[in-house]
Amino acid sequence: MKKSNNNKLGIIFTPIIFCLVMCLALTAVVLPKYDKLSSLLGMFISDTQIDYSSAYENIFVPTKNSGDTVNAEDVDFPGLNKQFGKLSIEGADVDAKLFYGDGTVPLRNGVGIYGGSFIPGYGKTILVAGHNNTYFNGLKNVKKGDIIKIRTSYGNYEYKITDTAIHDSKNTSAYDLEADYENLILYTCYPFDGLGLTNLRFFVYAEKVKGPEIVGLYE
Amino acid sequence: MNFIKNKTVGSILYIILSFILSVCLVACGICSLIRFSVFTPGFLLDCLNGSAYYTDLCDEITDDLLNIGDASGLDKSFFENFVDEVLVREDIQKYVEDFYAGNKMTVDTTNFEESLDEALAKYQSENNITDAPKESLDYFVKEAAKIYAQNIKITYFNSIQKKMLEYKTKFTLYSIASGILALAIAAFIFFTSEWKHKAFRYFYYSICGAGLFTLLIPAAVFASGILGKIAILSRSLNDMYTAVFNSLFVEMAICAAAMFIVSLILLIVHGKLRKKVTED
Repeated sequence: MKKSNNNKLGIIFTPIIFCLVMCLALTAVVLPKYDKLSSLLGMFISDTQIDYSSAYENIFVPTKNSGDTVNAEDVDFPGLNKQFGKLSIEGADVDAKLFYGDGTVPLRNGVGIYGGSFIPGYGKTILVAGHNNTYFNGLKNVKKGDIIKIRTSYGNYEYKITDTAIHDSKNTSAYDLEADYENLILYTCYPFDGLGLTNLRFFVYAEKVKGPEIVGLYE
Repeated sequence: MNFIKNKTVGSILYIILSFILSVCLVACGICSLIRFSVFTPGFLLDCLNGSAYYTDLCDEITDDLLNIGDASGLDKSFFENFVDEVLVREDIQKYVEDFYAGNKMTVDTTNFEESLDEALAKYQSENNITDAPKESLDYFVKEAAKIYAQNIKITYFNSIQKKMLEYKTKFTLYSIASGILALAIAAFIFFTSEWKHKAFRYFYYSICGAGLFTLLIPAAVFASGILGKIAILSRSLNDMYTAVFNSLFVEMAICAAAMFIVSLILLIVHGKLRKKVTED
């Protein structure tokens, strides 16, 4: 009777023990590489499900701040593909939502800052792209001295157009991303209103007139 | 082999051998499963066909083309229903086959460019456009074809192709080696057991243990919901990776179920043989 009970217990528990021992062995193998595996997994797995809707996040809340400074801690720095402001040029029929990033989502819905440049208030180059047949079609009407207005949640900025030019798309001397003064460059495909695509780009150069500088950035 | 005749030593030895057999079965099962799924083009193409991959990929290509269309003076309606899912399927199939065959993976955009040329000609005639410079149209077609080809190319495939082929050979060898070792251990247990019903019981332990462990992996994956959190920005790629892992873990669960069925049969055989021995 006792032997029969032992047999039954063996039938139930032996496979479970085998499985547990294999789990322990696997853990012993994986444990020394846990950090590496964990960071590798972290690259491909997020905490939540990815939202693939083409809708974008808008963090732009109009402000009246046109003062000299704004604290970095008061700035809601935009993430990729987020709308964080508006860009307009009076008299040139340009009035577009301003995004961070210049991929498909920003350029389908407005104009976007190239990720390798800077946001207004940083004191560096702001390079903004837009399509010539949609939101930047009005750039064909701009002239020197026109004012470009950028409104963000942390401040309102104005830039005066100093020049326009047409360059090849591969001409990197058309802009200086290393500049240590605040300047705004808008660019779009050229020519306007034509059917087809060229490798020419229309550039609008502007210098800062007013708007708060972001302070305490590196503290 | 006299030591086997010592009941306690024999039992311990057979249990250890059963455990090693179990490990070999797990290794053989998982390696074979991966070898005949992940490393075969048919498996991947089936996963793609069974998911929303092609539909989402066509939408993504259309989105990117709309973007370039905004820069080229084309109306948004131009690209509506332009991307041909049949052509996308054919190009993906060729790309996947080249990947597994170890060939250079290229995307032939001739058909796409021809369709775009035709659509552009129709668009110009419908909208009475006669002054579009040919170079601008050609440049547009070239850039659109680049976008198409870029979308057809599956991210990471180019960089993992060489490794994939290396691992395909390794997994084949692992499967064969673990299979042979499992057979050798099983033969040893069977032929050295004084009582054959005991051999069947040890086989039951091994196969049932292997089944439990094989089931544990998909169970943990499905329970954690990790497959729903794959962080890839392209929806079509997400469809692909989710479908591949989903199929792989479902097959793993099926493999575990098969092991349980076999172990159950072995248990029944063990019971019958044992009964016979007791009666004799």
